[in-house]
Order: sequence, then C-alpha cells, then structure tokens
Amino acid sequence: MDFAFTDAEAVFAEEVRRFLAVNPVERFPLDGIDAGYGSGAHSRAFMRALADRGWISMCWPEPFGGQAKPMFFKLVLFEELALAGAPFGPLAGSWQTADAIIEYGTERLRREVLPAVARGAATFWQGYSEPDAGSDLLALKTEARRDGDHYVIRGHKIWSSHAGIATHGLVFCRTSREARRSQGFTMFVVPNGTPGMDIRPITSLTGDVYHYEVFLDDVRVPADLMLGPEGQGFQALLNGLDSDRFWGRFYKAPALERVLRRLVQYANTTRVDDTPLARDPVVRRRLAAMATEITALRVLFYRAACLLRDGAPITYETAVAKVYADELGQKLARLGMDILGPWAPLRAGSPEARLDGEISHAYLTSLGHTIAGGTAEVLRTTVAVRGLGLPAETKRA
Amino acid sequence: MDFRPGPAQQLLVATAREFLRKHADAAAPWRAMAELGWPGLLIPADLGGSDGSVLDVVLLVEELGRAGTPGPFVPSAVVATSMVLHGGTLDQRKRMLPAMAAGERIVTVGLLDSGSSFDPERISLTLDPPGRLTGRKLFVEAADVADAVLVVTRSADDLVVFLLPSDRAGVGRVALDTIGVEKSFTLTLDAVAVGGDDRLAGGRESVVAALAAGALARTAEMVGAAQRVLELAVEHAKTRVQGGRPIGGYQAIQHACADLVRDVDAARGLLYRAAWKLDAGAPATADVAMAKAYAGEACLAVARRGHQIFGAIGYCDEHPLHRLHKRILAASLDCGDAALHLETVARAIGLA
Repeated sequence: MDFAFTDAEAVFAEEVRRFLAVNPVERFPLDGIDAGYGSGAHSRAFMRALADRGWISMCWPEPFGGQAKPMFFKLVLFEELALAGAPFGPLAGSWQTADAIIEYGTERLRREVLPAVARGAATFWQGYSEPDAGSDLLALKTEARRDGDHYVIRGHKIWSSHAGIATHGLVFCRTSREARRSQGFTMFVVPNGTPGMDIRPITSLTGDVYHYEVFLDDVRVPADLMLGPEGQGFQALLNGLDSDRFWGRFYKAPALERVLRRLVQYANTTRVDDTPLARDPVVRRRLAAMATEITALRVLFYRAACLLRDGAPITYETAVAKVYADELGQKLARLGMDILGPWAPLRAGSPEARLDGEISHAYLTSLGHTIAGGTAEVLRTTVAVRGLGLPAETKRA
Repeated sequence: MDFRPGPAQQLLVATAREFLRKHADAAAPWRAMAELGWPGLLIPADLGGSDGSVLDVVLLVEELGRAGTPGPFVPSAVVATSMVLHGGTLDQRKRMLPAMAAGERIVTVGLLDSGSSFDPERISLTLDPPGRLTGRKLFVEAADVADAVLVVTRSADDLVVFLLPSDRAGVGRVALDTIGVEKSFTLTLDAVAVGGDDRLAGGRESVVAALAAGALARTAEMVGAAQRVLELAVEHAKTRVQGGRPIGGYQAIQHACADLVRDVDAARGLLYRAAWKLDAGAPATADVAMAKAYAGEACLAVARRGHQIFGAIGYCDEHPLHRLHKRILAASLDCGDAALHLETVARAIGLA
C-alpha cells in the first residue's frame, strides 16, 4: 500500500500551485454560475488559460495532440484547482467528451471538435433528461430519424447545465425501437445554433440560471457527428458511467476542504461574548468531525481513482463516493449555516454578508447534488444490487 | 498511490482468515497464534519478532475483529509491546520482548485513573510515598492472564511507566461485570514496592506511541467486526423471505446495506492511510485521531443498523451480531473515544 503521490505528480501539483499564484482565480471573468459541485463557475477565460498550459489535453494520446500523461495528473489538477476555488466548471465534461471522441469518435469529431476542446473553446451540455425521463432515462422520447447522410432530431431535453453558454450538446436519442428497452439509443454531438434548436434558461431556486431546457424541432445533424456506435448508446453510457461519476465529483472533497478552512478561520476570528467561536465545544466538535469525514471521502475517491487507473472492476465504488460527497456537501453547508447564525441567509454582495455569501449559495445548490447525475436513491440501489448482489426490484408498473 | 496490500500482507491476511475460520469456536488459541508469530509482529527480528509494520498489525487485527476472536492480542502484542519497544532500556527490551514475541509472556497496560481519560496529560497516579505505588487503574483488559502490567504514572513533568509482575505483593485485581465480550478489571495497587529496575526509560513519548498503535489496532478491530456485520446482513437480506421475496429486494433494506458499505469502506480507508503514514514516519497524529474517531461512530452505526436489518433474530444471545456489536463498542472506547480524538483533530485543523 502506498498513499503518497509520486514525485512526478507532486512536481505537477507544485506547477499548478505556481500557475494559480501568478494567475489569481478572482481575475478570470465568469460566464456562468457556480453550481456548488466543487468545479467552480463557468469561465471560458479560465478554460483558455488551462489550454495555454496544455493541461486540457495533457492526458490524451500523442497522435491526438496530447502528451500521454498518466491519469493521476488530471486528479492532481482537479485537486489543486478545487482547493483554490478556481472556475473550471466545464472541464470534467470536456475531458469526458474528449475521451469518448478519442475512443470511438468519427474522423470529423476528431478533426473538428477535439482540437477545439484542447483550446478550451469547446464545452458541452448533456441532453439526457427529459420531462418524463429522469431517473428512468430509458423512458426518453427524443428521436433521431435517418434522412440521407443526416439525422433529424425531434424532442425536448431538460436540466441541461450551462446549455446556453456551451458550444455543443450531447444529445441522447432513440434511433430505433428494439425488443430490448435498453437498445436503440444513439448519442449525437450537436453544435449550438443548429437550426431548430431552441435553448431556454430555467431560473433555479438560487435566482440564477444554471439549467436550460432545449427544444429540438427537426434539428438536422450530419451523420458523422454521431458519437459512438449507433443503437448501442445506452451500453456506451453505462460503460462510461463509473468514470463520469468519478470525474463529475472527485473535486468535491477538496472543494469541501476549502470551505471548511474558511469556516475554521471564521470560527477563530469571530468572538461571541469575548470568546472565539472556535472555543464553543459544539462548533469545535462539529468542525473536527467534518474535517474527518472530508478526509474519509477523499480516501474513498482515491481508492476509486486507483481502480479506474488500473482498469480494475468497479461495481459500487464510484456510486458510494458520489452519494457520500453529495450528502457530505449538504451537511457542511448546514454546519456553515449554523455557524453563521443570523448572517447565514445573506447573499453574496449583500450588506453584512459573511464569507462572501458563499455558504447560503452552497446550502441551496447542494440540494440539487443528490439528484443530479443519479439520485442518491438510485445510486444506493446500484450499490446494493451491483455491489452487494441483492436482488433487483424488477417489477414495472 | 496504491490501495492493494503487498504480497506478504495478502498472505498474512489469507493465513489469518483460514486459521480463524478453523478456530471459530476455540476459546483462546493464543498458543497457536504464537506459533504463527503473531504476538511478535511488531517486534524486531533480533528480539525474536518478525519485524512487521503497523499496517501489518492493522491487517491482522482486522481479521481478528472480523472473526470476533477473543484474547489479549491488542493490549499485549500491540499496546504493551509498543510501550516496551519505544520506552524500554536495551536490557528491558531483551528481557521482555523475545518472551512476548513467543507468546510466553502476556503483558497488559494500566493507564486510566479515576479521571478515565486516555489523554496522557490527565494521568494522575503518582508514587506516594517514594518507592511505593498505591491506587487504582481502571478498565484493564487481560489482567487475569497477564504475567505483568505496565502501570503509567505521573512524575513532576513527565509520565513514568513501571513494569510490574502480576504477582508482585500488593498488586490485585477486581473483575468488572461488563456487557462487553472481553473481561475488564480494576487493577488495585496497595503500597506496591517499585524500584529503578521496574521503570521504563521512556516516558510520555512511549505512552503516546503505544496509544497511537493501540488506537489503530482498535480501529482495525472495529472495521473487521463491522465488515462481518455487513457480510452477515447482506447474507440475511438475500435469504430471509418476507412478502414473497428476499427482504434484500426491498429498497428500504437495500439502501440500509448501501450505507453499511459506505461506513465500512470509509473507516477502512482512513485506517490504512493512518497506519501507512505512521509506518512512513510522517506526522500522523491527526490521521490516527481521524481514523479512530471515524470508525468509532461509523462502525457503531453499522452495528445498530445491522440489528434493524436482522430484526428479531439479531436480539438472540445465540446470534453473533450482538457480540460483534459489543466488541465494536468496547474498541470504540479503548485508546481514546471519538470525543478525545476529535479534539486532536480540532487542534490539527487549526481551531484556536
């Protein structure tokens, strides 16, 4: 067993820290809000800065313009960026899409889209959920019909993060009716602005726009913008699920640690009746327990990372880590609200706001985390059925 | 980074699991364990041990916890051994450790005073008058089988540890009646004569080192026992049929089992990482504290949830669940409870 980063990984971490010291994260203009997952806000400028260092494509194989760095370099980069509160919102999605294109993308995707990802210019929204297809994704109704060398997509997608400011949608469609419910799905990479695509913002409970719904009204997509094998889209989605879940949440642990450090600092410098809040035994105990849980979460993610790196079988490990990350995030936000007391509900920018209003924002956004990307309930069932071999509930209404 | 145990560690675990499966009903296969070299795992080879690491010990104790094996392993082969190893003079090490490695001598530790805190700063027993020890040490395990006991006392500004044979005049014990599976005793000291030869060279540092090793061993015991609860609960959920299907087919039970997995895995992760750090000689105080505090809460939660999954049968004496539960309960208290370790964490994260 060895829980240390390698020398090369440690050197890279230092390089990232130097970059962040020279380029304070506050300097980068933001295009979209921080939804609290730990990857910060959406900032094209920051993505370009990462691209300038070659970091977006660093782990790609050399023929695709990468440097073939080991996977753990991505881990290190995420960790350092999240600890600094950097706005790298679209990065995980870009990486995952690029990996899919490298694995089974068409020549056109490799030629046109991949270099744009490397430049930090292309970012993606996921067109998976629909009004009647949430946890039951297979109930989706959006259809792509072949028409010569094009497909024509018709349907309605919803809860697509940053769809209005991304460059392409990953639109998951039914391309045929098969005997098996899980067959006949195909993924397309659809450029924003394609005629027939109507992207409308949804204002969330924070008052900001993070999600969009997308109406696809006979959107014509060239057949070579298909991503992955036709009709096998759901299997491809399942195959990539553990990796998606991992990269979509790994940065949460260091991000929670950043917030915890702020709360520790706050407790040390805030006096109640002339005594630092840090001396309150309840506050003290809860912060220490939270630090412990965040470390436990980090170790769970490291273990999942090793399994992914080694290509070892994963049945439940990323699902457990995701649920824990999201529930711990809610618990930390709750703790922060308790510590801030009457100041807790104040928004960023409000007079008297403390900790930049970050805690109230985290409290609200964290409510969505146990729903997005697989609800906590679905994932617990995954752990039980796939991980522990308990019998699946198979009956359908 | 690599979470896999090395080949020697895998062999140790496999051997232990097989051995403990065979001796599932044996009361105390201490001799047999000694033949496998387990009591000497932490002891250097030149003193009759097998030069193992804390991580090796953790892996072994995890198996002991999983099997629910009773015996003086943690107090003698971990806590007392660490104390002698870190604090004994060369002569004391040579006198004690080979016999302890061979399993011929069992040594326990008397640490808690009436303040009953594992915080070394709160140990209060002093020599009074000089050369005589009078008082009590609380919650001493294995006092009935120990050949000697390490009694931790306070001098002016340091801790002083005495190694007293159990048959020294004035040393007595009172058995306590506990819900736990291990016997626990009050060690009574009535004007016990102690001399310079009885005194370990090391003071506070050796006590702190022994408590760190002990905290990790107890954490391993909890993780192993909780792992067993998880395995039993899953097996039960697959085979117990109610309403026409295994109860594991109901999401209420599925989700409970999923939470057990999280608790056990997270506790184990912190445990291995802390042991690895300790072995690497890196500062590990906070890591040990986190591991012990986390497991104390998480593994007890596993035990309680396990009772709910098992329903009425888990309430029976003949069912293994309550013994695993009681073992976790006792281990959560020994070598510092969650409250004590969280205070260590609080300081480590910079709380004023």
